[in-house]
Amino acid sequence: MKKIVSLFILCLAMLACGEKEKKEVRDTSKLSWEEIEQEAHGKTVTMIMWTGDSKINSYMKNYIVPKVKKELDINLEITNGQGSAIVQLLMTEMQANKEKSDVDMLWINGETFYQLRQIDGLFGPWTSTVPNSKYIDFENPFIGTDFQQPIAGYEMPWGNVQMALIYDSAKVENPPKTRAELLEFVKSKPGTFTFDNSFTGLTFLKALLIDIAGNKEELMGDFNEEKYEKYSAQLWDYIRELKPYLWRKGEVFPESVAQMHQLFASGELLFTMSNNDAEVDSKTAEGLFPPTAKAYVPDFGTIQNSHYLGITKLSGVKAAAMVVANTMVSFEAQLEKMKPSVWGDGTVLNMEKLSENERNQFENIPSRKQAPNRNEIQDKALMELAPEYMIRLSEDFRKEIILK
Amino acid sequence: MPTPKLKNVSRFLFVAIVTVPVVSGMVYAALYSLGIIGILNTEISSKAWQTVFFGKPFWSAIGFSLYISVVSMAISLAVALLISIKWQKNLRDGLLGTAIYFPLCFPGTVMAFFSFQMLSKSGFVSRLGFNMGWIEDLRVFPSWIHDAYGIGIIFTSVLLITPFFIILFSNLFKTENIASFQHLAKTFGASNRQILWKVTLPILLKRASVTIYLFTIFIMGSYEVPLLLGRQDPQMISVAIIQKIQRFNLNDIPQGYAMSILYVLLILSVVILLFFRNKNFFKTSAV
Repeated sequence: MKKIVSLFILCLAMLACGEKEKKEVRDTSKLSWEEIEQEAHGKTVTMIMWTGDSKINSYMKNYIVPKVKKELDINLEITNGQGSAIVQLLMTEMQANKEKSDVDMLWINGETFYQLRQIDGLFGPWTSTVPNSKYIDFENPFIGTDFQQPIAGYEMPWGNVQMALIYDSAKVENPPKTRAELLEFVKSKPGTFTFDNSFTGLTFLKALLIDIAGNKEELMGDFNEEKYEKYSAQLWDYIRELKPYLWRKGEVFPESVAQMHQLFASGELLFTMSNNDAEVDSKTAEGLFPPTAKAYVPDFGTIQNSHYLGITKLSGVKAAAMVVANTMVSFEAQLEKMKPSVWGDGTVLNMEKLSENERNQFENIPSRKQAPNRNEIQDKALMELAPEYMIRLSEDFRKEIILK
Repeated sequence: MPTPKLKNVSRFLFVAIVTVPVVSGMVYAALYSLGIIGILNTEISSKAWQTVFFGKPFWSAIGFSLYISVVSMAISLAVALLISIKWQKNLRDGLLGTAIYFPLCFPGTVMAFFSFQMLSKSGFVSRLGFNMGWIEDLRVFPSWIHDAYGIGIIFTSVLLITPFFIILFSNLFKTENIASFQHLAKTFGASNRQILWKVTLPILLKRASVTIYLFTIFIMGSYEVPLLLGRQDPQMISVAIIQKIQRFNLNDIPQGYAMSILYVLLILSVVILLFFRNKNFFKTSAV
């Protein structure tokens, strides 16, 4: 009997806690920005993000976290997680009928955004409520569209990057610019080139797929099975031709771009790649890459995409999360983030909407050293494809290349 | 002798801490794999099970895991037996007795990185070979990491478990009073070879058999080491399962859960088979 009573009391206590949590969540859509700021005061926001880069971590820990604490009295807590781990976490919470998520803010893009929309895990639309959103370049298709999906107010653009190939200029005089040159180069220097089996490698494959398709527009829009079959067959033919000359004869691929960076740093590879065109500068400054490392965008182009901030549908502190996002897209925070010594991440702000003084400050950021000039590579920027292309490429890469 | 009350508390704790979470996890995975629960599941379906059961990836991952596990165990046992028998005195009184605990402090991930730094093409051994003039280029160094035979995984697994078995055998040597049996066999005229094969090894291996089986299962299910040192094909079972659950396609999650249940069922079948062959098998007091 005692056990039953104890269990009953425990259940009551849990219900009571749930009820309390429920009451804390207010409908932010009916609040003015002033009320949202008031509501945000003193709250703790948990943000989940990839924490695999020391510079990015440092920017968050030493700039954003103190800034929101000092200016808004919000405690921003960073926790590690990315991609499918975020989706899994939110799916589990939703299946468990949790009233309030353990996570409030997310650093996401592309396929994670697509998956979170699939499971209806994102709060929104909310971005237009945020005052600093008026400075964001939503008209830019590389910013206002995420993997061919309209962001529709469900995620706030935070940064913009373009993929770049990184090579050691002391060892490679003329890096390959076209697919044919790449094949020729890899054949002449077997074992020195590869791409990873994860996000960056797949982004590289997408660029090759677009090049094979003939023009930038061919694969735009929703996923097209027929086109995918047609062009991916040519892509796998090309990769199969490359395969015997790839690192480890293409029998194995680095599991992540970090591993590829290590292989490049140790001299085993002559090339690595990065989804951030400015990463070469930070990795060289860290001493990981040789001073002769340089980044470039080949003539066939590379994917340019943006990364975003999302708020979970079950967040109990949506107002505070919106206020933090507002700070993160502010002029000051974006300027700091863009400095090569800090992170080197491209801004999502529209320069024309900024004051002259602010624009000048962006223009006077210490120039990039080994990274390519953003304006020069813009012409070679390719739009992200619909998320299904990435899913299919990932599956077929395993079937067509790894298992064969 | 524990009191009945203490016994009940222990049973409750065992059920609460071990049984309930594991069974709940299994039930959840089963329901998910059959499409009964799961946000993206729309109907009850055995499709995931059919794909896993009749597809090659699951069985090749099981085969590769078993191969890695058996080879790692065989090497570890051979080394551990050799050291614990030959260096019995050093293990009992010398520095080795303390030093042998040192490798146990290393988590699997750290040991995997150590192996990577040692055995990769740009690792320590390769560089040593290059500087000594044994190889012309670092790239010529054989592939011991991310290789088809799982050499790096086996090497790391051996490093991780051998110290444990050395300690186990060394303790068994004492508790089972093997020295007395050896002495007795010697007085009956047994040769050193006979003593080793007919007395020492049977006692040690019999007494450690449960641990050996458990470690075989443990290595089969290891994750970090094959993730860091393995390749995309063949994959060990834990890596293959996680890939299904955590890659880009959310519709593959039911397959991942089906794989995990099938793997657990396979292991349980082996354990039950062992139990029914010898009901005293898992009782630590039985010889």
